[in-house]
Amino acid sequence: MPSQDEIYTKVSATLVEALNVDEDEISPSSTLQGDLGAESIDFLDIVFRLEREFAIKIPRGELFPEAIFQGDPEFVKDGRVTDKGLEELRQKMPFADIGKFERNPEVTAISDLFTVDMIAKYIQGKLAN
Amino acid sequence: MRYAESQGSTRQKLIQGWKETNMRLKDQVALVTGGSRGIGRGIVKALAAEGAKVAFIYKGSQSSADSLVAEVTAAGGTIKAVQCDVTNHAEAQKVVDEIEKEWAPIYVLVNNAGVIRDGLFVRMEPEDWNTVINTNLNGTFNFCKAVAFTMARQRKGRIINISSIAADHTNQGQTNYAASKGAINSFTRALATELAGRGVTVNAIAPGFIETDMTEAVRNKAGDIIKKMIPMKRLGAPEDIANAAVFLASPEAGYITGQVLKIDGGLSLGSAHV
Repeated sequence: MPSQDEIYTKVSATLVEALNVDEDEISPSSTLQGDLGAESIDFLDIVFRLEREFAIKIPRGELFPEAIFQGDPEFVKDGRVTDKGLEELRQKMPFADIGKFERNPEVTAISDLFTVDMIAKYIQGKLAN
Repeated sequence: MRYAESQGSTRQKLIQGWKETNMRLKDQVALVTGGSRGIGRGIVKALAAEGAKVAFIYKGSQSSADSLVAEVTAAGGTIKAVQCDVTNHAEAQKVVDEIEKEWAPIYVLVNNAGVIRDGLFVRMEPEDWNTVINTNLNGTFNFCKAVAFTMARQRKGRIINISSIAADHTNQGQTNYAASKGAINSFTRALATELAGRGVTVNAIAPGFIETDMTEAVRNKAGDIIKKMIPMKRLGAPEDIANAAVFLASPEAGYITGQVLKIDGGLSLGSAHV
């Protein structure tokens, strides 16, 4: 199994290709949408490239869950993710670091969970299994 | 699927009688559905004359397909005929996969395959409705679906959907056809927004009355009345549409997306007197 560094390097190279960005724009905490400009179709491309790069299968919605809360009032209230919603996030995205998000869980900030480091952690977990 | 393929040895500037081109699509791969006759045939020839490797889909017109392959080959172009029913989703993907495997990712897709089943709505059978929607609209979906992700990943590609002015300027007896073409216009705009970020353009061309087999029955029935309705006083030729398709496929049109270009000699302006 590749080391954490090796995984990160490969993830970073994958994002350079998929998002047409320079390598020096990418850091572990870069957010895919905010910092690297990813659009919806880019997420599909990232998944496609990661599958090939790491020879793994990524089920739809596993790495990048779509419409996590489905507008469910139990999960989101007044534009903020509820405790139950946070629990749902932890369950669906165990590889995401939601510590910072928890302190100010504005639903609009949820895309900030999608970082380079998050992908690397997901891949580590995937390869470990 | 049936293949009738040919590779020209030396690509001359032109297919006989054509004007000189700038080879703006040299060695790019193009796919044209409904390519053996009418407007599609004109588009196939025009793309080949610009240096593109052109695969075209035909359904039943074997002799037309053969003659087109022969004509383009004789002029030094690269062309391949593929028999396929555009309404078959799985087959569309298979055709695209095979072309991309043999040549390269498709750069230009022209969804031209279309049929008419005219009839007053109160007498229209579901079969007439479904045939038109399946071929014109779902066929367009099938081939767009087959190429879109690869184009997006390549960050290049041109999709050109052949619509009709009948989408906006309706004729009696064409509820099915108008619905299919109106849907193509909306689909074109919606898909354009999804692919724009990846540099892939999606446009439609809406021809008016073009001299083809499809309009023959109407032309025979209406005769000169049609010409009088058209401000330019003539029917369009397939080349009139093909020239626009080449432009939309060319580097010069790289910033144009989500548009529906009417090419009808002014017919849709509504200013002509019969």
